[in-house]
Amino acid sequence: MARIRIEGLSKVFGATRAVDDVSLDVADGDFLVLLGPSGCGKTTLLRMIAGLIQPSTGRILVEDRDITYLPPRERDVAMVFQSYALYPHLSVERNIGFPLRAARRPKAEIAARVREVAAQLELDGLLGRRPRELSGGQRQRVALGRALVRDPRAFLMDEPLSNLDAKLRTATRTELTALHRRLGSTFVYVTHDQVEAMTMATRIALLDGGRVEQVGTPTEVYDQPASVFVAGFLGAPPMNLLPATAAGRGGQVVVTADGVEIPLWPGGADPTEVTLGIRPEHLRMLPAGAPAPVGSARLAGTVTGVENLGSEEVGWLAVGAASAASTDRKGGTGGDAASAAVAVRGPRPLGLAIGDRVALTVAPEHVHLFSRDSGRRLAWRPDAKVPHPSRPVELTTSGA
Amino acid sequence: MFVELAAPATLLADEGRAAVQAARPSLARRLLAATPPYLYLLPALACLVLWTYKPLVEAVQLSFYDWNLLPTSPMTYVGLDKYRQVFTQPSLRNAAVNTVVYVVLLLPFSVVLPTVIALVTRRLGGRSRDVYRALVFTPILVAPVAAATVWRWLLDPTGLSNQVLGAFGLAPHNWLREESTALLAILAITAWSMCGFAMLIVSAGLTGISGDYAEAAAIDGANGWQILRWVTLPLLRTTLLFLVLTTVLLSGQWSFPLLDTLTQGGPADSSTNVYYLLWELGFRNFDSGLASAAGIVFFVVFGLIAAVLVKLADRFSFHDN
Repeated sequence: MARIRIEGLSKVFGATRAVDDVSLDVADGDFLVLLGPSGCGKTTLLRMIAGLIQPSTGRILVEDRDITYLPPRERDVAMVFQSYALYPHLSVERNIGFPLRAARRPKAEIAARVREVAAQLELDGLLGRRPRELSGGQRQRVALGRALVRDPRAFLMDEPLSNLDAKLRTATRTELTALHRRLGSTFVYVTHDQVEAMTMATRIALLDGGRVEQVGTPTEVYDQPASVFVAGFLGAPPMNLLPATAAGRGGQVVVTADGVEIPLWPGGADPTEVTLGIRPEHLRMLPAGAPAPVGSARLAGTVTGVENLGSEEVGWLAVGAASAASTDRKGGTGGDAASAAVAVRGPRPLGLAIGDRVALTVAPEHVHLFSRDSGRRLAWRPDAKVPHPSRPVELTTSGA
Repeated sequence: MFVELAAPATLLADEGRAAVQAARPSLARRLLAATPPYLYLLPALACLVLWTYKPLVEAVQLSFYDWNLLPTSPMTYVGLDKYRQVFTQPSLRNAAVNTVVYVVLLLPFSVVLPTVIALVTRRLGGRSRDVYRALVFTPILVAPVAAATVWRWLLDPTGLSNQVLGAFGLAPHNWLREESTALLAILAITAWSMCGFAMLIVSAGLTGISGDYAEAAAIDGANGWQILRWVTLPLLRTTLLFLVLTTVLLSGQWSFPLLDTLTQGGPADSSTNVYYLLWELGFRNFDSGLASAAGIVFFVVFGLIAAVLVKLADRFSFHDN
């Protein structure tokens, strides 16, 4: 039971900043998932919380106590390693009981507690076995048992499911969530798997290049990605991201790109270079042949591929230059023949065939805009007090 | 009505199975393709047969004969006489006892001390660790006879060791010429030369242990001593047993060149061991029968010890995954 605060934590290995000025506040009872691609610093961050790596700068507080330079054994946190790190020479019983033995608890108490934990994890019959005589799933549970046996202040987990097969991973995910709910303790969980993050976390911290890109509930990070990185990391397939221009036109803010025209809301703005983001599942197909309703968003492209996911289908479209021939757009870019790949996801069948020319639309509330320079999310602040209608309202970078 | 859909057809059910036999190369071709591994093994096998197995068989043969190694003199069959001699001759018993003393007293220097050095130097940074380990390792690189010469000079009654003793007002001692200390002196030099080698083996063993275990133990609340006793040393057991095995089997051979150069087993056989005695019996006394019989007896005894230790090592080995 503990609140963990990380303040300005950095770790420098030679010339690389593995963790770069990270600040996080993990509330008591949170299930915080550190999510990011390989090499984003999530494991280094976790190991610093565990005390296995000393930070270069910054500090770590548990319940207002500075533990930055405390050795691991005095931190009272438990950790499940990716490799499980079960002591190969000890039986399951001795493995689970190890933390209590280190704490010099009486033998009878250790035995009773180990049996209790083993029963919880359905390891009863395996107490006499050595780790090498266990299956991957059983080893994972023993590693969990070793963490559970002494009621630590927080649980740290470093990709604990990555060595399990897909079916077992799904089952264990549910078990871990249930365990977290039952214990109510603080969990810090490292993974690169967005499904694990979305399904288990109460909060997700997305990391890239050692920096925190966004912290929020799964819903927040998915529905309001704070940066292009977050938008492009979450979702399968991830959010479609297209270079585009947002500008005021005829009293409306309109986002345009090659083959794309999306009127958003009333207002005016100087032409701004943006990255346009739309989730594949938010794109709707316009009936073939029918003219698009006036004033509605429109993306035109050619189908380049269709993937059958069983329950759903993903269609891949080339939007822009390649399909420019019959797209009515004003002022082509000439030499730029690149088209953007756009995915559309929906219930099967989507009714798409390779080579089809299709038009898509999207509701304005499902349009995400990001600054082309910083990659941060842009929010619209309608300003009623604009003195002159002609003067554009600026798109502002929203705070994460 | 319902119609059950048939499962995909399998060839196993059909009698047409023979028809799907995959094409195989001819027998000659397959034999030719199978030979390279055996060709690679051949040189090693040939050496083993020529230098180990053949002499072993010949030693068994020789142990039943009385022969002085001269091609012109006759070999006389004596049955088990030579074996009877082995078990009755006091010099052999003395050598066997000395061998046990060598092994037992060498173990601290070939197992315990190297482990301590390896564990202590493990915490050092890269460069200084390499320097320390190189310093400890160097003695084994010195040719035994050259080292023996230097040690003879150091242990001489007028040598450095006695000068140091003299500085403390102690009488000089002829280490290599006194029955009480000759064996200990040989032992000390053997220990000095083997310690670094053993340390390298332990260091390699430590490198092979995943750092995850010590980290997991530290998080589980174990202190340095507990981690060493409960995690590191148990995982090092295989390496340590290997070192015990090498010490038991090879201590006699390690000390052989030193014995030959410094004491010739003396004074009064006080520093000899079975290897040196075997060599004396065979190539100084030219009693090939007795040397072979003693050799076979020691071979069997060491073989049994080795078997037990290997079995122990097997039981204590872990799959580190």
